Amino acid sequence: MASLRERLEGVLKELKGVGDIEASAIVSRDGLLIAADISQSVNAEAFAAMTATMLGAAETATSELGKGIPDRVIVEGKEGKIIATGAGPKALLVVMTAPKANLGLVLLEMSKVSEKIRELLG
Amino acid sequence: MRLGIPVLDELLGRVPRGKTVTYSIDPEVEGDVFGMQTLYMNLEEGYECAYVTSTMSPESIRNRFKEFGWSVDDFKNFSIVDLYSRYVGAISKERYVVEDPTNLKEIDRIMSRAIEENDLIVFGSLSTILDVCGNETLDYFEEWKDLSKKCVIVSNFTVWPYPNEVLGRVMDLSNAVINIGGIHHRVVLGHYYGILKVDWTDVRGRAVLFKVIKPGGVRAYIPKILVTGPFNAGKTTFVHAISKEAISVDRLGTTVALDHGKVEYKGFTIDIFGTPGQERFDPILRVLGGEALGVILVVDSTKPETFPRAKQMLEKTTKFGLPYVIAANKQDQPKALKPDEIRRLMCLPDDVPIIPTVATEGKGVYEVLDALISLLIGGGYGKLEGKA
Repeated sequence: MASLRERLEGVLKELKGVGDIEASAIVSRDGLLIAADISQSVNAEAFAAMTATMLGAAETATSELGKGIPDRVIVEGKEGKIIATGAGPKALLVVMTAPKANLGLVLLEMSKVSEKIRELLG
Repeated sequence: MRLGIPVLDELLGRVPRGKTVTYSIDPEVEGDVFGMQTLYMNLEEGYECAYVTSTMSPESIRNRFKEFGWSVDDFKNFSIVDLYSRYVGAISKERYVVEDPTNLKEIDRIMSRAIEENDLIVFGSLSTILDVCGNETLDYFEEWKDLSKKCVIVSNFTVWPYPNEVLGRVMDLSNAVINIGGIHHRVVLGHYYGILKVDWTDVRGRAVLFKVIKPGGVRAYIPKILVTGPFNAGKTTFVHAISKEAISVDRLGTTVALDHGKVEYKGFTIDIFGTPGQERFDPILRVLGGEALGVILVVDSTKPETFPRAKQMLEKTTKFGLPYVIAANKQDQPKALKPDEIRRLMCLPDDVPIIPTVATEGKGVYEVLDALISLLIGGGYGKLEGKA
């Protein structure tokens, strides 16, 4: 049987190519890289730490305002988008897309995949 | 001879001739790199080394070495004991070829020669030979062990669910056993190695996490060290001073989210997380503080008024009894307090290392790292290193 890491990487592979998704990663809530489908040139550990900080900071900001916990953080730029969403209590799912990506499709796929990750990580 | 693996070299020292070392590898972990690394490091030292292959063609083995950046063919002292080619009916031009790799007598004849002629024999996979030739293999292995008065034998052994007497025998036949396994119960899906037994020195080893880097091989890995401390103590400067690569999220000269640094040091790969110092960023400290393995507290030695805040941050980040080291920074300033004065003012126990640093000049930063690694690995790691 495949190891947990291999199964998580398999789940990420499903995302590749869907709606212009270019890279994806599973990151622990405290900023450590769990699994990634990302090019070697990216410093994946730093990317993991920064996205966890983004979502952590967003959660603190909205909950300070009494608006509860956000479902996701979407960063839009001219050269691409980054979307970070929760995947169970321990982990986050992060994807990077091309700038013109179909956000609706990407979010739908992400919610399916984050559910799988939640199950795998227990 | 050394094993060429970080931490193990510090703990085990030189492996005396005539010893057998076994890397006992969990089937889920790709552990063959351990034997390969040991062989390559000793090739570089100029020892005569032979690699016993029973699972891959000599060509594939050479390519596998190359994946890690080790071109073994540049070394005249390298040879292969080929237990594979004739098994699949291929032709082999290696120095040692076993014509019938299922016949232990035949293997024994070639192995005896290889042991005579080499300083180091590495079995690419002892377990595979056991699978092909049966438990009798271990009787021969015992003979080879007796034969190898001048030679060190290192084996990769994949721990399939063999009967207990087989596993026990492998254990008994090895002078040292290094356990290599995977971790699942934590969020970090890591691999670790640790010393199960060793009979030529007295160490109690702790498990060390590792990463396999291509090229590069086995690196001891510390996934998270937190660098924290009050506002303007020099945390970001500290992170940049010790890191090969570092990224900071700074606004107006102060860290607002975090610093992330990658440290390559003495065979270790360490990811460093630097936190913001101001109280308004404490929620981020809480988010990112999880699963750290150790804490470096940076204090401004000229500002005793910030020590209570420093202590508060220490309590926030070390509540699970994490090891910590204090970096007494800005020692180049005239009013800087000495480590002992800081210890007294902060009421810290005597055994907590307080290291004077000047982060802007990179002074003392690696001593801080040494002190923390020593606390993490145990066994006076830093001290041993100092002697060597």
